Amino acid sequence: MTRAFTPTATAASMPPLWRIVLVTLCTLILSSCRGPGSSPQGLPGGMGAAPPAPPHQGSSTLPPEAYTGPAVLPAGAWSGVPQGPPGMERGVPLPYVPVGPWAPPGIALPWPPDEYLADGGDGGIQAAVTPENQVRGLEMEDTVAHYDTIDGRTAVEPSNRIYLYSPRFGAVRQVVGVQLNEQLDRTLGVSVPEQAISQEGRRSLGSHKQQVQTVRQIGQKSTTTFRTKQGDGAMSAATGPRLFSDAFKPYENLTAIRTGQHQTAQMARLAQGVTAAIAWSHDLRVQVLLDAQAAAAVARHEKVETVFAVGEPPTEAKLRIIKVASTPFAEPGDTVDFTIRFDNVGSQPIRRVTILDSLTPRLEYVPDSTQSSIAANFSSSRNEGDSLVLRWELPEPLPPGKGGVLRFTCRVR
Amino acid sequence: MVNLLRRPVSNAESCWAVVAGRIMMVAILGWALRPADAQEPPVHFMVPPGLPPGAIGAQQLTRGGPLAGYFQPVEIRTPEGVLISLAEEGRFSTPVPVPLRLGLLVGQVYRFGLINVPTREGAELFPTIEVINRLYTPRGQETRFPIVIELTREDLSLALDGKLVTRVIYLEDPKRAVPVRQIDKGQGGFDVGPGQDPLTVADVLGRPMAIVRVGGRVPDHAQAPDPGFLFGCPPLLRLSPKAANGPQARTAAAVAAPSAAPGRTRR
Repeated sequence: MTRAFTPTATAASMPPLWRIVLVTLCTLILSSCRGPGSSPQGLPGGMGAAPPAPPHQGSSTLPPEAYTGPAVLPAGAWSGVPQGPPGMERGVPLPYVPVGPWAPPGIALPWPPDEYLADGGDGGIQAAVTPENQVRGLEMEDTVAHYDTIDGRTAVEPSNRIYLYSPRFGAVRQVVGVQLNEQLDRTLGVSVPEQAISQEGRRSLGSHKQQVQTVRQIGQKSTTTFRTKQGDGAMSAATGPRLFSDAFKPYENLTAIRTGQHQTAQMARLAQGVTAAIAWSHDLRVQVLLDAQAAAAVARHEKVETVFAVGEPPTEAKLRIIKVASTPFAEPGDTVDFTIRFDNVGSQPIRRVTILDSLTPRLEYVPDSTQSSIAANFSSSRNEGDSLVLRWELPEPLPPGKGGVLRFTCRVR
Repeated sequence: MVNLLRRPVSNAESCWAVVAGRIMMVAILGWALRPADAQEPPVHFMVPPGLPPGAIGAQQLTRGGPLAGYFQPVEIRTPEGVLISLAEEGRFSTPVPVPLRLGLLVGQVYRFGLINVPTREGAELFPTIEVINRLYTPRGQETRFPIVIELTREDLSLALDGKLVTRVIYLEDPKRAVPVRQIDKGQGGFDVGPGQDPLTVADVLGRPMAIVRVGGRVPDHAQAPDPGFLFGCPPLLRLSPKAANGPQARTAAAVAAPSAAPGRTRR
């Protein structure tokens, strides 16, 4: 017997009202789902988020026949000051946790953001440079630098973001006259009887046993050491505030600002005023050089020996830009000094280095307050917040290991 | 084999049900695919206009968070020469000059007395201040960054002429702040008409923090005002004027910590 499908019969299998209600509920449930919250200002490195989990350490899985004693270096090998683990040269943002009275859990700090003036970083739309050398995506509060590499590429590097606690208040006024004196009577109490509902839940008792076989997993990861051109000493010996009206200020007393060299001991101080600081040195890793060539130690399990492989590190263009402020608090009318330290931490010279700082509407640039340690052409233009975009252009290429310091003053409106 | 229908359905009824269902689906999809919340201005809360003093603050306290029992530092500014007296223990205290810095409880209504209004000799005003939100200032800086409440000469003149002036103080959104110097221009402000709700407008511009109402209402008995007129004289803290980062400010900040119990401390 063949049964014909008819819409009437299908619709009648369930009452239309119940079907509509069911579809409505399903749609509401699906549309109420939200994705995970993102950082509100596109903070670099996910400020306030939990630090990334450490990589899997497979040292405990070495076979018992593996050689774990000290490595015997050949004669003439040089063991210098470590340069940092792989990836450190790209910058590892450290979480910044400002000291505050209270903040809801799971919310990116600093909180609440409407009480802070932000400056630096690249929030919102990511800044980019067009072929006509026009910068797109530079929004208020952004501080970026762009440069050209020797292979013709144009790279954009944002700075860290700094925060100033500076709340400001406005007022909305309403004036009403006597003729509008109307009395509003509202219900003081509403009694809504509710029917008692008893809910009974039954859960069966039971035991569950799962047999899990112990599995030994051995991960073999080759040990590599990445070396950059950045040495231990002062990276930019020629860089200093020679043209400044005064020497380094107290809030600039950081080796990252004075000499361009990061020190782990100063990370806490640097993190107080910035959202993300970058650790550039690591004192625990062994560095090996053979005939002035970088060497990476390769440990193999099948042989009780150490093989030193000589490899040429790839050339890379990298500009590091750090921004600090003279104070974390500012009242309307106060002046705040900002210092920008930039360094070519890559292994190739970069050209047409341009540093842009788009000020927030609450920051007013003090005219003729900019100072630069190296030759730079300064200009300014209006941004969408009726504030200024400060622009420094370096007329000369910036060789590796060189950098400079910029300083300017703003008044809090 | 025969399929039994639960109830007979006519073709016209089924057609109407299908059309109604599709219309509802289109409406629901249109609502679900509306612009994301991040593209809308951050609105913190909406309350119906015309609520009496204290209703909005009490509603804020029910929303939770560290609001109850917190003495929010407030700085009151008026034209030069105006004296202000506080309602304490059922009566108004000795007038003191402004600017005046106080620690006020969130959600309470405070009655003040203003005298010595310029060009209005002998006139008195009794405004109310209702703090409906608080700042989350870093520790040690609480008294350095109070909520600034500014009553202009025009506000006082309008109130003495029989008008009711309502000022909603809001925390500006830094990205949408007016790019003018407040230190020169004074506290910025917008005027809304009688048909608009100033709280809603302030909610769009920033975060409403306090509501100030200045009218022509006076107490029935100047020496012993009605407790209802004084809103029960809630406790307050007197803060030193322009206290910055000194030890005195830190002491006041410690007192103003959220751990302070409501009504535990008076002065």
